[in-house]
Amino acid sequence: MSTTYRDVDRAFKRDLLASLPNLRAFAVSLTGRHDKADDLVQDTIMKAWANQGSFTAGTNMRAWLFTILRNEFYSQMRKRGREVQDSDGLFSERFSVHPEQYGRLDLQDFRKALDTLPDDQREAIILVGAAGFAYEEAASICGCAVGTIKSRVSRARTRLQELLGVSGEGDFGPDPGDAAITARAFGS
Amino acid sequence: MSDDEIRKKEKMTTAQSNNFRPGAMLPNASISRKLREFYDAVQEEGIPDRFLELLERLEEAEKNAKSVKAK
Repeated sequence: MSTTYRDVDRAFKRDLLASLPNLRAFAVSLTGRHDKADDLVQDTIMKAWANQGSFTAGTNMRAWLFTILRNEFYSQMRKRGREVQDSDGLFSERFSVHPEQYGRLDLQDFRKALDTLPDDQREAIILVGAAGFAYEEAASICGCAVGTIKSRVSRARTRLQELLGVSGEGDFGPDPGDAAITARAFGS
Repeated sequence: MSDDEIRKKEKMTTAQSNNFRPGAMLPNASISRKLREFYDAVQEEGIPDRFLELLERLEEAEKNAKSVKAK
C-alpha cells in the first residue's frame, strides 16, 4: 500500500464530502422530495466511488458528481416511468417533513412554482442560479449547448415570474370563481 | 402630426419604459434570492449520518481489499 495512493484516496473522500450538501440540494430540486433525493445521493456516492478511476484529480469534482447524479436521476425516471412524481407525496412532504426550514409561506409557494417547471428548465435555473455553476459548466453537466442552457434559464425565470406574480395577490382570498358563487348565493 | 403631439407621444413612451423597468427588475432579483434561499435551506441541513456511514463502509471495504491483495 503506497502512501501516495492513500493520499489520493483521502483527497477523493474529502472532496466528495465537501460537495455533498450542494449535491443533495440539487437532488432535492430534481426530485422535489427529501427521501427520494437522499436515495439518489446514495446511488451517486456508490457510483462515484466505484468510478474513482475515471475522475481526473484536480478537475472539477463537483461538476463530475452533478453529472453522475443527473444521469442517475434520468435513468431511474426512465426505468420507473413518471410514477416517481406522485403529487400526493410532493404535497405532504413539502408541508410536513421540514416545515421549519421553509418558515415563510412564500418560500413554500416558490418551491411549488419551481416544481411546475419542465425538468430541463428547472435543472438549468438551479445549476446556474443556485448551485453556482457557470453557463459552460451547466451545459457540460446537462450535455447540451451553452445557448440551450441560457434560453432554458431565461424561460424558467419568465415562467417563475408569471407564476409568482399571479399568486402574489389574493393568496388568502376566494378565487374569482368562488367569489361569483358567493355573490350568487348571498346576492339580492 | 404636430410637434406637440410628437412630444406627448415621446413623453408617454418614456413614462411607460420608466414604469416598466423597476417592475421588471424587482421580480427577477427576488426570484434569484428565493432560489438561493430554497437551495441554501437544504444545503444548511448538512450531511446526513447515513452518507458519512456509507463512506466509512466504502473506505473500510477498499482498505480490506487492498490489504488482502498485499498479503
